[in-house]
Amino acid sequence: MARFIVRRCLYAVVTLFILSLTIFSVVRLTGDPVTLMAEPGAQEEDLARVRAEWGLDQPWPVQYVTFVKNIFTGEFGKSFNYEMPVSTLYFQRLPNSLELALAATLISFVVGIPAGIVSAVRVNTPWDNFGKIVALLGLSIPGFWLGLVMILVFSVWLGWLPTSGQGDWRNLVMPAVALGWYFAASLLRLTRSSMLEVMRSEYIKLARLKGLPGYVVVAVHAFKNALIPVLTLAGINLVIMLNAAVIIEVIFAWPGIGRLLFEGIFQRDFPLVQGVVMAAGIMVVAINLLIDILYAAIDPRIRLTR
Amino acid sequence: MGNSSLSRRRLLTSALATTALASPYVRARAAETVTPAGKMVVAWHTNIAARWLDPQQHDGTASPDNFLNALHDALIKNYRKELYDHRSLAERYEFAEDAKSATFWLRPGGKFHDGTPITPDDVKFTYEHYHGAWSEVLRTKTQGVEIVDDRTVRFHFKDPFLDFPILFGTGNVCGAGWVVPAKYYQQVGQDGFMQKPIGAGPYKLISQQPGIKLEFEAFEAYHNPVHIKQLTMVSVPEAATRLAMLERGEIDLMYFVPGELISRVKSNPKLMLAPVVSANWWLEFPGFQDPKNPFHDKRVRQAVSLAIDRDAMNQAECDGMGVVDGNWIDDDVEYGLKWPTWEHNIAKAKQLMAEAGYANGLNVDWVTPVPDYYSRGERIVSQLQAIGIRSKLQTLERGVFLKRMESGLKQWPGVQIILNAARIGGTWSNWYDTMFRCNGFQSKDFFCVKDIDDKFATYLSSDDVKQRKTLAEEIQRTILDEYYLVPVFRHAFVNAIGPRIAAKTWHDVFPTITTGYAYPWEDIQLKPTAG
Repeated sequence: MARFIVRRCLYAVVTLFILSLTIFSVVRLTGDPVTLMAEPGAQEEDLARVRAEWGLDQPWPVQYVTFVKNIFTGEFGKSFNYEMPVSTLYFQRLPNSLELALAATLISFVVGIPAGIVSAVRVNTPWDNFGKIVALLGLSIPGFWLGLVMILVFSVWLGWLPTSGQGDWRNLVMPAVALGWYFAASLLRLTRSSMLEVMRSEYIKLARLKGLPGYVVVAVHAFKNALIPVLTLAGINLVIMLNAAVIIEVIFAWPGIGRLLFEGIFQRDFPLVQGVVMAAGIMVVAINLLIDILYAAIDPRIRLTR
Repeated sequence: MGNSSLSRRRLLTSALATTALASPYVRARAAETVTPAGKMVVAWHTNIAARWLDPQQHDGTASPDNFLNALHDALIKNYRKELYDHRSLAERYEFAEDAKSATFWLRPGGKFHDGTPITPDDVKFTYEHYHGAWSEVLRTKTQGVEIVDDRTVRFHFKDPFLDFPILFGTGNVCGAGWVVPAKYYQQVGQDGFMQKPIGAGPYKLISQQPGIKLEFEAFEAYHNPVHIKQLTMVSVPEAATRLAMLERGEIDLMYFVPGELISRVKSNPKLMLAPVVSANWWLEFPGFQDPKNPFHDKRVRQAVSLAIDRDAMNQAECDGMGVVDGNWIDDDVEYGLKWPTWEHNIAKAKQLMAEAGYANGLNVDWVTPVPDYYSRGERIVSQLQAIGIRSKLQTLERGVFLKRMESGLKQWPGVQIILNAARIGGTWSNWYDTMFRCNGFQSKDFFCVKDIDDKFATYLSSDDVKQRKTLAEEIQRTILDEYYLVPVFRHAFVNAIGPRIAAKTWHDVFPTITTGYAYPWEDIQLKPTAG
């Protein structure tokens, strides 16, 4: 087991190293941030001064070493635009993103899981067809369009909800629905297929033969086992919602991490983009590592085969 | 030389006379008893950069002045119809006849938001530590800053520095004149200052969520009455969301209404559009000096000008709220030349094309507009087809576009047309220096017309006001007469005003001609019913 954990940890380190190299290179391929900081009228000397101030006049290897050092200090560098440590900005926005992501996750659970169960239990009936349509719409309607339509209908026309920003629970409703809608659809699909697979298994047939009531078979025996892949997906979805709800956070002026990333990309704020991506990467890698270790602890065959 | 001295003396005399005439008005305004009340929320159209709260780091762009004018104050500044020399923290100022010094007398009783008095030491510190846009130019030309007495400060220059007042007083070009409290700045450092800035402007900062929201409160000790108690600036990047907020009354002022939303504002009787005429747009032909380039022939450049339907462009892109004028330089800067509008005449254009040997038209590799105004580029492509110029639209991301502009002709091979645009404050020379001069920031080796570059060098070295004006006009006239650049139009930076703000026309909220933003903030009022 210890060897397995060490091996997985090494994989995680290698993954993060590759991620750091990739994000470091990719942001620099997008162009010179100094040209975006200055508009026509700024002088050549001003540009040179800004480049030197931010270390952008240094060779790439030197800049990369600085970037890695900043990761280890926990600051993730200093944002060009805000002139603050990226970690400070990240942790300022994290509670907001967490609030939105948890609300969206709740919506995706409330919609996706029951609908998936009903679709699987009532397979090839109108219930199932309705579930398929919901899933199709959820996966195909872009979140930004849904968000704008909701603003128009519920804020401008009906006046029920505030358009945007952070405030009380009413501010959370539309962004959470717009964000959770897609994930609800994906959960619905996965719950349905997972339930179908479980429902066809031998032990479910046995439970039915034993004369257990249908709801007991579904709720107690089938659902519990079908839930494992669903929860795994939900965990990853939560991390994605937390770090990459870029469009929804921009549309609803929600002060979260996704919007921070958008601002960083828009302004060519290299440290900010690198920092947010690395923080998200660390989170994803850590969760995957944890899941792998838990799987291995539960099922010894996993650590033997990998 | 005698004429120039006389002229400068006249200028100085008139500045002092204006001060004397304006004094009772200023006193009357200060004496006016106004109790700030109510709250106004402004939706900003991008994220809010913390450095915009620190004038010491002015980046030379047009954005910081929106914030500087709320939080900070300058000795002299652009204000309403005054281009750069509105006396704000300075009660008066004198620019020496030999242009080698400038003296400012501080307004008595001036205070920063923390209650500390504004002193010449603060002015000296601000100037000497300024490291934003144009700081190198100021540093190179300045011999020293002298504190004459407890209200007077004098700047000495190594050589005549005629552009000093314009640079110093234009808030959307340079931040050296925006006074920061020296002791506090040194105590908290640059980073600390950005987080908790203290200024001398009409509004003090109460709280900020970096990039998201700024909350201000009226500074009642400001030298002008401040009408609204609380001012909030919130960043809302999505235009449709900003408009929905305005329609619901969540905000009172919305910056930047894109073309597709203008009709929605127009159809709402509670809202008012504020189309502030802003950036100028023009066509340029990089590499036209090469005899093999079809635009080497003046007749072809003229034909392009004749083929452009400027009114249609203005109508389609700005709902007709821009301005079709003749120059590529805005007329609200020093020596910006007024020029008649250009003719739209396809028949004449075709004739010129034929005379130039292009009766069957010609191929242009790319027409590239400033990102992300791609629809404007498409209109140029389609209008040029009318005279046989076949071209394709090239869409570039903003950063890539700017990088290529900075890199010169090697990044623009073949036959190219660029639809460029700018809004640069201060003086016409900032435009020329950046956009046309050989090796300029965005012109690099695109044009390099030696004759007028030489004239520009003479302009820069001259301390004769009359000669400078003559040269400025000559250079602009040559560019236009020779069609080196083909002006298109000035677009409107369209904003929208909500129903709670007291305004008969949009100019009541956007009175400052050198900006697209709504300052002076202290003058904006809410309707009595909006309190």
